[in-house]
This record gives sequence, structure tokens and C-alpha cells, in this order.
Amino acid sequence: MKHIYDDEADIRTKAAIRVMSLFFVGLIIIAATTSPIATGTKAGERAPALEGKFYNGSGGWTTFNLESYWDSNWKEGDASGQWVALEFMDTDCPYCVRSAEDMSVNSADFDGSNPQWDGAVVNFIASVTELDISGHDSSRAEIEAFRDKTTGQSCASSDCGSRPGSAHAFPYIDDLDQDNMKKWKVGGTPSYYLIQPDGIIAWSSSENPGEDLRDAILGLVTRESAQTDGV
Amino acid sequence: MVFEMDSNIQLMLYLVPTLIGFFLVLPIGKILANPLSQRFPSIATERGRLFFGLILTGVAGFAVSIQTLWISSKVSEGGNFCASNTVFSCDDVIGNANYNVDPFFGLPWGGIGATAFCVFLYLAYSSSLEPNSEWVDNYLKLGTALTFGGFFVIALLISYEVEMEKICQYCTTAHIANVAAFVGFYRLMKLNDSGEWNQDS
Repeated sequence: MKHIYDDEADIRTKAAIRVMSLFFVGLIIIAATTSPIATGTKAGERAPALEGKFYNGSGGWTTFNLESYWDSNWKEGDASGQWVALEFMDTDCPYCVRSAEDMSVNSADFDGSNPQWDGAVVNFIASVTELDISGHDSSRAEIEAFRDKTTGQSCASSDCGSRPGSAHAFPYIDDLDQDNMKKWKVGGTPSYYLIQPDGIIAWSSSENPGEDLRDAILGLVTRESAQTDGV
Repeated sequence: MVFEMDSNIQLMLYLVPTLIGFFLVLPIGKILANPLSQRFPSIATERGRLFFGLILTGVAGFAVSIQTLWISSKVSEGGNFCASNTVFSCDDVIGNANYNVDPFFGLPWGGIGATAFCVFLYLAYSSSLEPNSEWVDNYLKLGTALTFGGFFVIALLISYEVEMEKICQYCTTAHIANVAAFVGFYRLMKLNDSGEWNQDS
């Protein structure tokens, strides 16, 4: 007599196959209908949140929301989208003090007010931390003095009012507790990130040693005219 | 089309079966099961009703977990699914990169939920197919223990929601399904121990 079933078969195998099939069907549906982007701080990843109070020259310290900068409908090549250049810095870090001049020049050149720049607007943001190094004692008053270039506070052993460059017109976020710095896995200051209008990181200084933020902006930010070489 | 449906109406596709399953595994589930037992003879007995309710909540819990995984993928793309300015905003909860993965391995909670409900389904479904096998007792105990463990995960996820001051209604449906699954497994385990396992009603 012909056997049409297996006497030794176990119902648990049948149940396992059916349940596993259900599981894989679910995964296949997700794989077929979505293209998830990981959150992280490398190029191509979605920028993590940046939290804290920020100072923008007036109105005191208010809650910062990085997500308000993002445009989920932005497409590559669209020059109307606004990019973000983010600097992680410490007001007592000598190199950060020296690079304040570059930040002054870059923000003035790319913030949309420069008629010679035919590219997308780049919004500059500074996240200010207090590194665990002797002599690095910062405060909100020091951050304000550094940003506004006013006297009365000490930045890297000199008066904040004497730092290089002009006063900055972009927001400074209080990250004295290092929360943002840890979340972004920033190894040292200053560190720079260039972020697309859709919130995807386009460039980071840690991944591109030897290349500065200005070069990254000129090379990556969408331009209205591809023929223009610089500012 | 399902994906164009309002997110709260779509939620009902998961919530209604979850609540029916939950009702069936409760002692008062007889009220619902008795009129339906002519059409569905398998739920005429206490054991059949508990298995049916358990499998229903398992399927609904799995489906809603897959949906949360889908939402987290969509939010990561920059899209939105159920964003809202009210306290009920699953995008804000599922899309929050600080909380939407487990703290040890970085796995998305939706994927963990889908895997867990598949395990619950396997334990319940295989036990329902051969209810008098000797391994059923262990399967029911394992199911009870695993779903009880789920309470700690639920507590952690609710603490995240409290911190964010937002509620993810899809996640809450999965949490209800876990509670229902625990009740189902626990009552089946007790029934199995009681000697009334093979009674006709």
C-alpha cells in the first residue's frame, strides 16, 4: 500500500513552517515597500536629533529643533532647499577660537545674503560643549560672548571679544552637558557636518580629513549654475 | 487601498481582532463564543475558545508589529504616516531614533515584537493542533513565561512614551495583544493542569 503521509511527521514542524512563512511574508512586504535609512553621523545616514536651548542673539535661550530645518520633499539638484552646516565646538578650545574666523566668512558667504553665491542657502549652527579638560570651564554667558564677540568672558585664555572673525549671526546651542556631542559620537572639537535639506548627512570632517567645510560646501551644495567655480 | 487609509482607521484592522481575541480568552468570552459555536465548532469548548482567542491575538499582534516596523522604515526615509500635533502621534514615538531600538542590540522594537508574536503563535498553534501531546504542557508554560516577560518590555516602552509625552497607538495595540496572549497562555496552562483539558464544554 502506498504511503501518502509520513508516520513520523511532527505537527510542530508543520506549525513552525507556517509561522515562519508568515514572518517572512511580513519582512518581504517591508523590504518591497520601504527603503529605510539608518540614523547616524556618517555620510548617507539620517542626522540624529540635536537637542538643547539655543541662543540667537536676542530673545534669550529657547528650545532648539533641528527637525524644523528638514524638508522631506527635497530632491537632489533642487537649489531651493536649505542645507545645514553644523559645528561642534568648545569656546575654550584654541583651534575652535582660531576657526571662528572661517565660520564668520563661510556663514556670510553661503547664508543667502551674498549675491555672488548662486547655490542653495546654508544655515550655520554651532553646538557648544565643555570638554573634560582642565581649564575648559564654559557657561552660557561665555557662549553668548563668543558668539556676539563681546568682552568680559575668557575664551581659551583670552577675552572672548578678541577672538578672530566677526560676530556670528547664527544660532549657538548649549551642549555643555555633552549630550549632543555623545549622541553624534564627536571625537574632538571642532568637528563639522554638512547636512542636506532632507536631513541626510552629506559630509563630515571626521570622514574627510584634510578637506575643510568650505571645500565641502563648494563641492556638494546644489548650485543654480554648475559653471560657477567659487565665490 | 490600505496604505491610503487614515492611519487611525487602519489601526482598527489590528485593534478589533486583538480586542475580540482578548475577550475570548477571558472567562466572560463564553458570551461571545456560545452564539458562534454553531458556526465555529472549535470554539464550543473552553480549550478551543482559548486557543482561538490566543491565535487571533497572536496574528493581530504580529501584524501590528510588522506595521510599526514598516512605519519606522517610512519615517527613516523622511516620510510620515501618523504624525500628529496631539498626544497620539506614533511617528514621533516610532521615529525617535533614541528610543525606537532596543538598548542592547539596536534592533527595532517592531522587529522584536514581530519575532515575539511569531514565537507565541508557534507555541499556541502547534499546541492547538495536537493538544494531547506530551510537549504541550511545556509549550504553554513557556508561552506564559515569555508573555509575562513582555510586561517588562511594555513597561520600558511606556516609560519612553511618558518621557516623550506622546502615545503610539500602534505600539499600544501590540502591548494589549501581549497582555491578551499572557491571559490566554496562563488560562490554558491552568486548564491543562486541572484535568478538564479534554472536556466537551
